[in-house]
Amino acid sequence: MRQIEFIRSNTFLWTAAVAATLALFVAGLFAFIYWKIDDYLIMRSDRMIATQLNFLAELPPGRLNDAISDHLKQDSRGVQYAGLFDAAGSRLAGNIARLPPQLDPGGPVRSVRLARVAAPTVHEATVKAAARRLGDGHILVMGRHVDETREISTVVGQALLLGLLPAFCLCLLAGAWLSIRAERRVEQVNQRVQRIVAGDLRERLPQSDADDPFARLAGIVNGMLDEMETTINALAGVGNDIAHDLRTPLTRVRLALERGRTHAATLEDLQEVADKAIGGIDQALAIITALLRLAEIESNSRTAGFGDVALDEILRQVCDVYEPIAEDKDVALRVAIDRKAEVRGDRDLLFEAIANLVDNAVKFTPRGGRVTLELMSDGKAVRVRVSDTGPGIGESEREAVLRRFYRSDKMRNTPGVGLGLSLVAAIVKLHGFRLTICPGPGGRVEILAPARAVACNAAPSDPARERHESLAPL
Amino acid sequence: MTRILLIEDDTETADAIVSELTERGFEVRWAPDGIGGLDRARESSPDALIVDRMLPGMDGLTVIEALRKDQVRTPVLVLSALGAVDDRVRGLRVGGDDYLTKPFALVELVARVEALLRRPFDSRETTLQAGPLELDLIERTARRGEREIDLLPREFRLLEYMMRRSDQLLTRAMLLEEVWNYKFVPATTNLIDVHMGRLRHKVDGPGETQLIHNVRGSGFILRVR
Repeated sequence: MRQIEFIRSNTFLWTAAVAATLALFVAGLFAFIYWKIDDYLIMRSDRMIATQLNFLAELPPGRLNDAISDHLKQDSRGVQYAGLFDAAGSRLAGNIARLPPQLDPGGPVRSVRLARVAAPTVHEATVKAAARRLGDGHILVMGRHVDETREISTVVGQALLLGLLPAFCLCLLAGAWLSIRAERRVEQVNQRVQRIVAGDLRERLPQSDADDPFARLAGIVNGMLDEMETTINALAGVGNDIAHDLRTPLTRVRLALERGRTHAATLEDLQEVADKAIGGIDQALAIITALLRLAEIESNSRTAGFGDVALDEILRQVCDVYEPIAEDKDVALRVAIDRKAEVRGDRDLLFEAIANLVDNAVKFTPRGGRVTLELMSDGKAVRVRVSDTGPGIGESEREAVLRRFYRSDKMRNTPGVGLGLSLVAAIVKLHGFRLTICPGPGGRVEILAPARAVACNAAPSDPARERHESLAPL
Repeated sequence: MTRILLIEDDTETADAIVSELTERGFEVRWAPDGIGGLDRARESSPDALIVDRMLPGMDGLTVIEALRKDQVRTPVLVLSALGAVDDRVRGLRVGGDDYLTKPFALVELVARVEALLRRPFDSRETTLQAGPLELDLIERTARRGEREIDLLPREFRLLEYMMRRSDQLLTRAMLLEEVWNYKFVPATTNLIDVHMGRLRHKVDGPGETQLIHNVRGSGFILRVR
């Protein structure tokens, strides 16, 4: 099964195809080389036959016989043919048994079948030969047995075997190795993923330092897993927090109802109990509402409704809403607007975020303190800063306050559901802005956003006037 | 008598709503599903409709859409357990006039039904009167009898809203939504109370009859009758 899978694996099929192509190509190359060499050798042999024929024909008739036998004697490989025949065709000298009838005296070199005079048998072979009629009417035949062609084809074949087979095997081996490696990595990933699916969120894909696509992919997936693990852990934590925060008011409701049922004597008593119960349930509902709201914002579905939002207007509206509350607490709330600034976003959500920041700031600033709402813009970036003279947020708590339901111990007894800053964080994240909780003294939270090009008529307003206008009356 | 049709599938919720509204002097009919509710709405042409979003047979929003297609202009209050802003927007877009998220307080429901039944005001008027109070919508000035009241713009807006709905309970949620255009519940729960305190301080001077009343646990009324 595994073998079949392996053979059917894509990597292996590809290598096999490449190996086959390589083999075909090499075979073609060798055939070409063979053909070329063969051609060359035959041409050379033909030229040699012609030269020898010419040389012997020039000799005086008396020396011809000796020259032929000398020529044949020098031929140790037995590839040379030479013969002298008279006009009637009877052999006078040489090792050719009969004058081949196809051979046309004076014609070009051509292939003929020649029988060699050799004891004990007369065997015929195909030989390249040419004939020439001499001055005395005799016919001189010169030939050469071109067995080199066959030899060459053997050599080429051997070379082909020697070169191609190992190359082909190497190709297949490389393919096999590659596909086994890929299979193994996939198998490894599969096992880890199975573990992750089974619930082990700390598991990660194997990641080497090598810069290959597989490692990069593993890196990407691991990054995604990191993010998911954080989210899931946060959710798990939130589950506990929700349970706790819901149980507290529900416990109060339950106790109130139970005691009221037993002890209430008058209608007023019962009404008081009912009011308490309603209050507790309302608190529980407020938590659920806030959670749903957070989920809605985090689900990212509202980006479609984005438009240009004038932050200066939002700041003034928030200030307008919170001024009386700050005043009641003897906290000075003021707005300082550098110049008008527009960002791309959801007006209602941005209002909610800034209102939440101001709400928090006013809530945690002691009497006689100050809350400042600033808008700074340099044409590229817009900064909304909410600063106060309250206790601020300690370094250790800065991450935690953005988590849902986080409330530092000193806030435990202040009213609220503890989702304010996580809501702000979710809104800021949805917009792609940046939320910074700055170090003290006092509290300082900033939202940094890229600015929209502001229309021409929105010239920078007079900051002094703005400040004066929005200064909270004390 | 004002006739109201309630389309709601949960019997207990429906019972509570019917009892409460009947006690308040409304004549309430109840339909437990969308198709029956739509038929009843077409036959009896009530003065207002209360429609739950999730209904068996036919979705609440479909009922409203069908009615609006028939050119029925009856005011509709949509009830829903879906609280998300987008659902609210969708509910109002198909023709709902107001949207109330479950669970709700019965006073809130009654206040909103009463607000819906109130005839829309004439937007061409330039002055507004309620009892001894008078608003000049052009000059942005306010007086109580002979006494000038000096109001901040936000206080003027709040008083205008209340005078248009005098003698009617206005819940904190209604005020937040309508006057401050809030789409969420602020963390500070007494936000409205503080603003109302300011306004009351200016409207109800020493020795004058109290006009702005706090209804405990529910909201506020501008009483001029």
